[in-house]
Amino acid sequence: MTSKTTIPVHLDINGQHHTLELEPRVTLLDALRDRLGLTGTKKGCDHGQCGACTVHVDGERVLACLTLAAQAEGRAITTIEGLAREGEPHPVQTAFLERDAFQCGYCTPGQIMSAVACIREGHAGSDEEIREYMAGNLCRCGAYPHIVAAVRQAALEAAS
Amino acid sequence: MRDFAYLRATSTEAARQAAALPGAMLLAGGTTLIDLAKCGVAEPETLVDITHLEGLDGIAVDERGAMIGALARMGHVADHADIKGRFPAVSEAVWQAASAQIRNMATIGGNLMQRTRCPYFRDPSNFSACNKRQPGSGCSAIGGVTRGHAVLGTSEACIAMYPGDLATALVAFDATVHLGERQLLVDDFFLLPGATPDKEHAIEPGEMITAVEIPASAAARRSTYLKVRDRQSYEFAAASAAVGLELEPDGRTIRDLRVALGGVATKPWRARAVEDALKGKVLEPDAVRAASLLAVEGAVDHGANHYKIELAPRVVARAILTLGEAA
Amino acid sequence: MTVRSIRHGDASDGGADAVGGRLSRVDGPAKITGAAKYAVEQQLEGLAHAVLVESTIASGKVRAIASKAAEAAPGVLKVLTPDTIISLRTASDWFGTPPPDKPYCPLARDITFSGQHVAAVVAETFEQAVAAAALVKVSYDETPAIVDLSDGKAGDGIPVDAMTKEWGDAQAAFASAPVRICAAYNTPREYQAPMEPHGLIARWEGDHLTVWEPSQWLDGMARTYAEWFGVPFENVRLVSPYIGGGFGSKALALGHGAVAACAAKMLGRPVRLVMTRPQTFTGYGGRAATRQTVTIGADHDGMIQSIVHRGVNETSIDGMWVEPLGSVTSIMYATPNFSSKQNVVRVNSVVPGAMRAPGENPSAFGIESAIDELSYEVGIDPLEIRLRNYAEQDPEAKKAWSTRQLREAFAAGAERFGWARRTPEPRSMRDGNQLIGWGVAAGTYPVRRAYGEAIVRILADGSVEVESSSIDMGQGTYTILAQTAAETVGVSADDVVVKLGDSRFPRAGVTGGSRLAGVMTGAVHKAATAALDQLVGLAISDPRSPFHALQANTLVVANGRITAPRGDGPDVSISELLESVGRDRIEAVGDTMPANSSAEDRYKNYTTIAMALPHTEGDYSRHSWCAHFVEVRVDEDFGTVRVSRVVSALDSGRLYNPKLAESQWKGGIIMGIGQALLEEGIMDRRHGRIVNNNLADYLVPTNADIPDIEVISVGIPDLHSSVLGGKGVGELAIVGMAPAIANAVFHATGKRVRDLPITLEKLI
Repeated sequence: MTSKTTIPVHLDINGQHHTLELEPRVTLLDALRDRLGLTGTKKGCDHGQCGACTVHVDGERVLACLTLAAQAEGRAITTIEGLAREGEPHPVQTAFLERDAFQCGYCTPGQIMSAVACIREGHAGSDEEIREYMAGNLCRCGAYPHIVAAVRQAALEAAS
Repeated sequence: MRDFAYLRATSTEAARQAAALPGAMLLAGGTTLIDLAKCGVAEPETLVDITHLEGLDGIAVDERGAMIGALARMGHVADHADIKGRFPAVSEAVWQAASAQIRNMATIGGNLMQRTRCPYFRDPSNFSACNKRQPGSGCSAIGGVTRGHAVLGTSEACIAMYPGDLATALVAFDATVHLGERQLLVDDFFLLPGATPDKEHAIEPGEMITAVEIPASAAARRSTYLKVRDRQSYEFAAASAAVGLELEPDGRTIRDLRVALGGVATKPWRARAVEDALKGKVLEPDAVRAASLLAVEGAVDHGANHYKIELAPRVVARAILTLGEAA
Repeated sequence: MTVRSIRHGDASDGGADAVGGRLSRVDGPAKITGAAKYAVEQQLEGLAHAVLVESTIASGKVRAIASKAAEAAPGVLKVLTPDTIISLRTASDWFGTPPPDKPYCPLARDITFSGQHVAAVVAETFEQAVAAAALVKVSYDETPAIVDLSDGKAGDGIPVDAMTKEWGDAQAAFASAPVRICAAYNTPREYQAPMEPHGLIARWEGDHLTVWEPSQWLDGMARTYAEWFGVPFENVRLVSPYIGGGFGSKALALGHGAVAACAAKMLGRPVRLVMTRPQTFTGYGGRAATRQTVTIGADHDGMIQSIVHRGVNETSIDGMWVEPLGSVTSIMYATPNFSSKQNVVRVNSVVPGAMRAPGENPSAFGIESAIDELSYEVGIDPLEIRLRNYAEQDPEAKKAWSTRQLREAFAAGAERFGWARRTPEPRSMRDGNQLIGWGVAAGTYPVRRAYGEAIVRILADGSVEVESSSIDMGQGTYTILAQTAAETVGVSADDVVVKLGDSRFPRAGVTGGSRLAGVMTGAVHKAATAALDQLVGLAISDPRSPFHALQANTLVVANGRITAPRGDGPDVSISELLESVGRDRIEAVGDTMPANSSAEDRYKNYTTIAMALPHTEGDYSRHSWCAHFVEVRVDEDFGTVRVSRVVSALDSGRLYNPKLAESQWKGGIIMGIGQALLEEGIMDRRHGRIVNNNLADYLVPTNADIPDIEVISVGIPDLHSSVLGGKGVGELAIVGMAPAIANAVFHATGKRVRDLPITLEKLI
């Protein structure tokens, strides 16, 4: 890590401030996982093809694998570790557990981050819409029907 | 990824100047550029991050048309009420592109710079021949796996398919791209591969896309984007069509028709022959199907992509007929 | 890894804690919060990062590896090549066959497939390793490759005599049958594509190796590492707390693991190596491409008189993989005459491997498509023809089924699906531009049995701890073992801590072939029973126990409290009892091995598959069964197929946790939808290379591709199959899905697609 080309990068993650010395090519995903130990955000393809690395930047869901850490400076980053509030799981997290919306769990943080945004965006209006707007998160265990049920449940709770 | 320097642009002018330097590239959403850097295809020495620039992400729509800032994110464009209302094909093209996450990252300007998904282009370590990557090195795709390659606009040097959705809708409605002061039709912004497939866009060093403008039209207001693919979502098109339709007051004669194809050509493909054949004619299924065959006039297949020649006219015809049915 | 159950399952089900209850995953809270640390996510001091360099030719020899530029790149610690990597010994295979006495080099000089590991770069950071790996230049002397089964150089292959099954005179019976059908069915290379890529962290401390690696088989992989490095088995510790999907691909120690462990030894520091997604397509084998011909002779009533089956699967140049293609063919239907034979063909590929229901899956595509073709040939409903040819006993083993609820599955599925409303003619159902088709197919998977071992401790605070080196890759091991221990001891599942995924724990065999749940619930049940007996024994006989004066024969333990059977004595908690008798724990090891097993038997049982029990052992033939009913919608202009409805009825025997079993069934069904419609490794025949080696081009289903799926359990407890009555869950449901979809596509379109996947160009 003594490259001449590192730059200081200030990141606001889950409400906490971090300063890292990074090469500019370090992605937000690798910064989270390898430098900060925030391994809840997963690496499935590293090319924007699976959605496992979904995090929120300024409240919107994006892929950490195609975001440079340096680009995220000055933005509010939320990862799966920062979703719970005061020790209480987010309603989407609860719904995923109740509906058994995962098996191996590897795509799950990305699914949950995506689902929270999907509901916030107003794209959870029907099962068909949920399926389309959750299509960017692959799940090889095949939890899709239960993911739809969990998002539907959480969306209804959010609306009530 | 090879190492590069990172510059955060503080103004459009500074961005242009920085990007004009050798080895420098503009970085917006990164969904193409970072991906290709990881593939070893893009090897920038400097990335000029323009995502922190202010004032380039506006979406303004009025009766004359839409003006979309280069840094407007695709997801915002797709969900914009006036884009949905006045340019449904544009909204539909965008929400059917990639995934919600990628659409939240990708900008409109960056999307116009999206590059081909040709597997040979994307894998320099295994396939050294690629005229798009290395002019004069040859084309690995010709004679290889061609199921996803273009059947229109190809050359002996390159058969790579243009994979985007938005630009297909843009060329249908005569949109222009703003490069600062300079403007040109999106149709002219994209270049045919010819003998120089490495040159994909009519953009010069030191230029930067600042906006996309779509003129309003009745055809744009009654429009749709139909995307056919193997997978229901999160996949590039096997064939797609952006179609706009304006009928005469009789409700059956075609006054204006716009047709552009995606997923089958080396650039967003305006199918004027279909438009010309049907303008002034009564909208009627057999006539539409017959005219839609003109969409693939001159198409050349490379074996496994032959199906696109059959598929594309059917997609065009379905889109036109669906619009015709919609009151 | 320790997982303590935190919350209960469906509030609707009061008995969630017990075996058979719908308890939510006890590892769920860790997974939904990001707290679950997968193998390569361990944060270790001094961790170095390795990246593989792979061959770009399919056949030939490495002429030279130019590594100077890489060695000089920033942060690079080492470039490993066949010349610089330390030498290993060849390890035995998974049967435990003694290996040839020759060195093993995980980096190849002789290239037999594109994507073979030829070098590796280790650097201080991941980014530096990636960049330096791109600087390694390998030159080759290339020779012509055999790219796939259709290659002219491939030939007919090698007969696999062990696959031959024959009874009656199948050829003669076919020749004289009044109705004859014959067709060829092909499946392409398919990939497990778990969301977590393969990778590991290896760390040496002296001659002790610790490997954090996603693993379906800790003890088997530990054996391989130990043999490679010539250290005692006990010196290797495999740690695999969570596994991000395996589907058969994470059961064996692989070359990349050897590379990382070598690098760690050479550098004297821990090394992490994770495959890139493209590398996962060649770093280990997916499902082999297969070809089958199925000929059926029948009478005009659709009664089968003969089945002749011939199969071929690809294997690698120097490895052997047999995908048993006659496995379903020989047992699904009653036939007096039968013949099945199989060859394997060597091609320049990585050696294929296990992928969800290896053998049964492609086998079912053949026979379940063929019987559908027969149904149209004789004009009998596809469901009816299956019932007419129902096998009342195992036609091959000539033994009774232990349980076979397939008739019940057909009935329940058909009822729920509304099969009776189906119109028989192809192209007879439509909705606008969409042709609608309804298809049915059956599936089956044998009950694979083995022995397992577990430790159960009752601790001073009244909680119960279970340890086993078995694993949970999403099937629900943590949860069902918590339920088993809770029910057996008599505590709440909240009070059970299950620890898995560490080879220091009591041993377990491979997690594959749907055997783990049956094996491990049996072992935990036995250990927990022994612990409970000790507890009750202490309570009865220890003079300090409050129950001592009762002189009872037995006591009741429920909800963590101990009482006399008639409730006429003390009522104390487990914790109070242990305190009163001065014990801080009770501990019992349970295993299901035969009583006189030697240490060698035990080692062999847990580290090889040689001790697995045949599913036809004794008087019974043991299998799980299912029936899939599928509706497809095919766009008549575009040829696109979408599955719009699935009802599957499944017989997995007793379900230890229906909530989790249903999830696994649906997962198999969904992977079957991908297999039927999307999945195929596409070969550049000039290069012998799969070009769609990523998740944008190797298409697996997205959420938008999957409709609501209804699963119905028709199983009954099968005590011939396991201690607690369960059969198999995980492998079963994919079997028969692809033919059910292909049959539905035929019903929709009148086109019979016999080559998977059913892509749009095959229908327009």
